Amino acid sequence: MGHSVRTGRARPAGLRRRSRAGYLFVGGYVALLVLVGIAPAAYALKLAFTSFAGRFTGFTNFINTYHDFRFIPAFEHVAEFIAIWLTALIVIVIGVSLIIQTLSSRVSAVFRFLFYLPAAFAGSAGVLVWLFMLQPGLSPWDVVLSALGHRTLGASLIPSNLPVVFALIALWTGAGAWILVIHGALNNIPEDVLEAAALDGAGPVQTALRVKLPLIKKWIVYMLIVSFAAGTQLFAEPELFSQATHGILVGDAWSPNQLATTLAFQNDNFNYAAAISIDLLVIALVCASLLVFRTRLFRED
Amino acid sequence: MTFIEGSVRQRSFLSSRLVVWAVLTLSAVFFLVPIIWLMVTTFDTGQIFTWLENSALYSGAGVLIAVTLGIPAGYGLATIEFIGRRTLLIGTMIAMLIPSNALALPLFLGVNAFHMLGSPLAVILPYGLFPFGVYIAYLFFDTPRIHGLLAAARVDGCTEWQVFRRVVLPLSTPIVGLIVALDFIASWTNYFLPWVMYAEFNITGRFPLALGIAQQLMPGSTSGDFYQNIQLQLALPPSAEALLLLLSAAPVILVLLIAQRWIVSGRLQGVFD
Repeated sequence: MGHSVRTGRARPAGLRRRSRAGYLFVGGYVALLVLVGIAPAAYALKLAFTSFAGRFTGFTNFINTYHDFRFIPAFEHVAEFIAIWLTALIVIVIGVSLIIQTLSSRVSAVFRFLFYLPAAFAGSAGVLVWLFMLQPGLSPWDVVLSALGHRTLGASLIPSNLPVVFALIALWTGAGAWILVIHGALNNIPEDVLEAAALDGAGPVQTALRVKLPLIKKWIVYMLIVSFAAGTQLFAEPELFSQATHGILVGDAWSPNQLATTLAFQNDNFNYAAAISIDLLVIALVCASLLVFRTRLFRED
Repeated sequence: MTFIEGSVRQRSFLSSRLVVWAVLTLSAVFFLVPIIWLMVTTFDTGQIFTWLENSALYSGAGVLIAVTLGIPAGYGLATIEFIGRRTLLIGTMIAMLIPSNALALPLFLGVNAFHMLGSPLAVILPYGLFPFGVYIAYLFFDTPRIHGLLAAARVDGCTEWQVFRRVVLPLSTPIVGLIVALDFIASWTNYFLPWVMYAEFNITGRFPLALGIAQQLMPGSTSGDFYQNIQLQLALPPSAEALLLLLSAAPVILVLLIAQRWIVSGRLQGVFD
């Protein structure tokens, strides 16, 4: 659907007047983008390359934070969490979307809404909900917990379980929105393509794997890159778990963002904190640029 | 089918829909106020009102800014040629793909440098920046149909501002609904930004509901010295806490119900074209 009719644009006559009107329309947004987007990022960049006294120190802050004993583990933690989460996202979101497609549109709409509903508990509320789910005696999953031999909250939160638990929370609050997107992508596949596949004798499973999935590949890539970028930013989950466990089972530097805030607020070292937030911002920028420049998902003109 | 065709069809019964929702909202207030009161009295202090007020202020003001700046920006990008337009468009697409958490700490550092810690603007202004809304509005206005309408209005002698007020704004309802819904959900459930701004320095008077909920979580009780024995410890009985969680989710669920159609089509528009 490429719209290329540009009736109202780019006529030399009156271009200057038009151009001025353009600046008036985008001016407020641009001002805010600079004020709360570009300026803070630039200031963090400046802090990351200077010392406490304000002298330029090159990459010293980046190197020193890299050598902090908590730095590598924090990135390993989120990497493990992201690996589990993205795998589950692919399997569950694609599986559910394919199955939902076979339902009548009314029933499918109800299910999509139900899966999206937990998005209302994103953030701290969702973490509390899952602490309830993991507390034996309170949890509706008590049977599962006792089958696993967990009699205390602490037993569920041993360090090796944490990436799985965080992935569960992220799935619960986040998968529904992606089911909407992938479902929409599947519905966008032209009917004649599927008819052709059926004529060639492809069954439902073969059609799903060989025809539908390749056609929605770029939206799956979109889901994975956006989720990856969001995953590196993990904060509320480990922070609240740390609060609930005296900082013993989950420390105050489990994720990179936690490490950055700990450096800022416990050690009063804003320069180190800025260096880590720049690390994370670079990851986010790389992901965003990949999506904008390497996939053809977003239309600029 | 494009977004605009769907929306024009919707517009005819939009006003009746508004009446329906107004009646439903009023009756919901009547039916829910006693229940909310029960919930509130469970919490000994008036804290919960402070949290609710703050959440409503931050999200409400943020959404208002997002709409009043986002609609004209998307319109300008779609219909007017100006120097830097393409750069701004690509910048907007990159900005909308950056997780909001990525800017929380840099924002704190900036706010701190300006000695504005504790100001409500420290979270309201970031909530007001919603590049995804600008991009959606851009897609919405960049259609042959809209371009045709605008050309006609200009031939009739309308100034750019008149075109915007008389032609564009009345068509924008679905986009406004979409920006309101998505920005409201994102800001209402945000935890990291208010955390860096208010929690660390214990500015409790500024806590939104998301921080109030987190405050319910006490260091877990232990028996013996083994960390495996840690049990969940909350400030109030679990039933009251559960009620608090439902209270915090209720406005988002309400928004989801009202705006579901716009959210679905908008999310897809954001990705498909």
